[in-house]
Amino acid sequence: MATETVASGPASTQSEPPKIDAAVPNGQKSANSGPRKPRQKRPNYNEIHVKPLPLDVHPLPAFIPHNPLSIVRIAITLLSHSLRTPNSHKIVHKAYYSEDTQSIHVTDPESIRALWEQGFWGKGSLSRSEPQWLLAERRRRGIEASTASTQITQARREERRQFKLERAKAQREAIEQQLRQEGKLDADGTVNDLVEDGIVAESPRGTIYTPEAGDVVGPTGDSIVSEVDKSIAEKAPTWGEDGAADAEEIKDIEHLQLTPEEAFYLTYVLGALDIIEGNFVDGNTALPAWYLVRLYSAYALSPIDDAAIIGLKKAFQYRERLAKKTAALPSTQQIAPDNSFLLKYVVYHHFRSLGWVVRPGIKFAVDYLLYLRGPAFHHAEFGVQIIPSYSHPYWSETPERIEYRKGKESKDWWWFHRVNRVQTAVMKTLVLVYVEVPPPWDGETKQDAFGIDIGKVLKSYTVREVVFKRWSPSRNRD
Amino acid sequence: MADADEDVSHLGAQEGAENDPTEEAQDFRFLDKLIGGHDVAHLSLPKRGEKDFESHSTNLQLDTLEASRRAMHGVLSWQRTHTQKNHILAQYHPETNTVCVDKVKSQHFQTIGRSRGGKEWLLPEEALFMIERGSLDCRWPVKKKEGDEQSYKTEDGAPMSLQAAYAAFIGYEEGVGGKLTLEMYNVYAGLKRSGYVVFRTGTWNEDRGDLLINYSNSQVEGRLGSNIFTRFFSEIWRRISQPSYTIAPANLSFGPLIKPGLYQSYSDVFRLMQIIPTHDRKTPPSFTLPPAAENPFRVHFDVYRTTSGFRKTARGTPDFRICVINARETPIPTGAQLNDLFAQVPEDRPKAGTQHYQKLKHGCRNVLLAVVDNGVPSYIRVADAPFDEVKIYERTWTGPRGKGGRGRGGGRGRGRGRGR
Repeated sequence: MATETVASGPASTQSEPPKIDAAVPNGQKSANSGPRKPRQKRPNYNEIHVKPLPLDVHPLPAFIPHNPLSIVRIAITLLSHSLRTPNSHKIVHKAYYSEDTQSIHVTDPESIRALWEQGFWGKGSLSRSEPQWLLAERRRRGIEASTASTQITQARREERRQFKLERAKAQREAIEQQLRQEGKLDADGTVNDLVEDGIVAESPRGTIYTPEAGDVVGPTGDSIVSEVDKSIAEKAPTWGEDGAADAEEIKDIEHLQLTPEEAFYLTYVLGALDIIEGNFVDGNTALPAWYLVRLYSAYALSPIDDAAIIGLKKAFQYRERLAKKTAALPSTQQIAPDNSFLLKYVVYHHFRSLGWVVRPGIKFAVDYLLYLRGPAFHHAEFGVQIIPSYSHPYWSETPERIEYRKGKESKDWWWFHRVNRVQTAVMKTLVLVYVEVPPPWDGETKQDAFGIDIGKVLKSYTVREVVFKRWSPSRNRD
Repeated sequence: MADADEDVSHLGAQEGAENDPTEEAQDFRFLDKLIGGHDVAHLSLPKRGEKDFESHSTNLQLDTLEASRRAMHGVLSWQRTHTQKNHILAQYHPETNTVCVDKVKSQHFQTIGRSRGGKEWLLPEEALFMIERGSLDCRWPVKKKEGDEQSYKTEDGAPMSLQAAYAAFIGYEEGVGGKLTLEMYNVYAGLKRSGYVVFRTGTWNEDRGDLLINYSNSQVEGRLGSNIFTRFFSEIWRRISQPSYTIAPANLSFGPLIKPGLYQSYSDVFRLMQIIPTHDRKTPPSFTLPPAAENPFRVHFDVYRTTSGFRKTARGTPDFRICVINARETPIPTGAQLNDLFAQVPEDRPKAGTQHYQKLKHGCRNVLLAVVDNGVPSYIRVADAPFDEVKIYERTWTGPRGKGGRGRGGGRGRGRGRGR
């Protein structure tokens, strides 16, 4: 346990702020101590992301009661709409399913921009989220001067690190001052001397003694101190060294990758994305939505059943070629009602249809993050974790099913607290979404066992959102 | 514990510049108040100071530490006494596992016990709490030999030790139905010590709590039509501006739901896309599981904030409802268990006009889970969040926090970043 004292070092540190500056040699003054640079003007996101979906709508002109002309304008619009019906789907984007990465690749630059700007779909394969590789690369080579958001983040991190180092340095100096007053340290000695003499033990964390200021701390073997030294030596910016002369055209090697849920939503709900057979975007035909359900579901299994996938593809080709409807479906190809693709898709669809921008939340220990309007506008407020629920009587009929259900439903409280703690640390709220799993629906003997009535299937699931938040007795008393 | 850390005051920081060890004593004088012959009413627990994470061998640090230790030791070794005036005698009643108090004397009885037959009766957790804090002298009943006709008074019985009280009250409750587990007692005692008023929910006699149905859902329909012409035109306008779109069965089955065509607004498109059924929060709740005594997800305690006019006979609606869970035996609730738990609490919607995020976080029903792992409780507020009632796509509001603006902050502590 850490030692607790009522008043000590930090207090005296705060009382002497001028010392911090005085101790830093002018040459090493960090960037943040100067006057703040004017903030980079941000792009107008309201304009870029004006469409929440990759579709077009054609609103009527506003009706202004005291302006009779507005009625005329409405009438003209109505008339022109009836003469030539405008289309909501100007373009249908094309993509292919990459079996190796189990994601959907969009390679056309225009589609990539459109899908990102109109609803924040997918992520750049070489970027953190927005496809920015080309821009970052141009900046790296000095072709474009301004800073990308990742560089701002980097600068901010550096600033923060510098602040911490300086704070630690101030603390350390306060201690040294104290030691000198107590006569334990010579006028020009440092704590390091005491460490070497064995009077003071250096802690593994090294919080007190690390403050890097070159002139004060000498390298002490392989301790953290020297590690920090090294990292600071390497800190010098290396951008632009390859020179701006290298202004040749850079080929954009980045593509947009969509998760199966995103791609299926674009295909099945919006009709704005065609998944093309094979790994080439042009030429081939679009795959039907029901087949995509089977494909994504088959790949969502863990481990992936290769034989089932080959069988699935063969059956599909056979069916397409002969235009014949298969009667029977092998049990290995039937989709389990709690297939993880289906559960994830149901939740994805639910929140998307309510207007949230839903993005994968693996970095935050959850299934999804919910953004209001999109990541360019707001931080995500909710972290969504899916919990399958087997309330239907079917799942309690036999002991085996009960056993199966318990294995799927049971998550212990330690798991829960881990997830919840992560959410609070990043200031999000944890939402557990319970998805009611229906009894098995696939493989009923009907005319076309291979096709899927997607709407009917989706409607057999029910979701319920429950917000979990830590509660503290001491904060809710009044 | 964690909460105490968060509430640490910046005692050290306020003291200003002092490197002089003689001034340090000042920081501990308030601890002396606890030990010296001061008025009991003005006692308070010592506040914790700044943490030092490692020793740096200054005399200052060593002195401070030593003084802290001495002060703490002084506080702990302070002798606590009971006055004769507050001595409460009670008798254990083995048949019902309750305690009968002879004469009610203390303020505690404003928030515990119930009177029956002119006497005050304490439930196991209440009795145990009182015994544990030294406020109650509980006596075993005198065992009568055959033919012993003498009537004994309460004080003739042997005093009940704390160990005996734990053995008697925890896990054994014949005739009262549900059992008081150690976890429930932990939560009960913890909340009582934090200043809440805690009562059992219902009697615990049945295998599960009662279904609570709210009848407040009578929605007043009725549009105020000013006159027939405006209504006529507004109807026409509504039809023109908000055409009703439908999804053809073929589109529902094989997609796309939004078939190419003319849409006047994105809201229309979003409305069409909503096909996933959600839990119906408008209709009265119902249980899905059969009643079972072993289902731990039931409301155990009603918790009230302390208010001046509190009367235990007319308690009103509780501020919180708590369900106590043993973390080692019970995993997180299943959908059915949660549904049944929510069915036992009344509807508690946020006030109209609440911001969207707040509305969702408040939920339309809520319950507290106290997850106890070997005596350490973790409280979790569980709220049934009506996401389907908040139409984000209508964009009638802007979020509370913009992004990338100036003025970060708000987060306490060092280097608290924020992910996106």
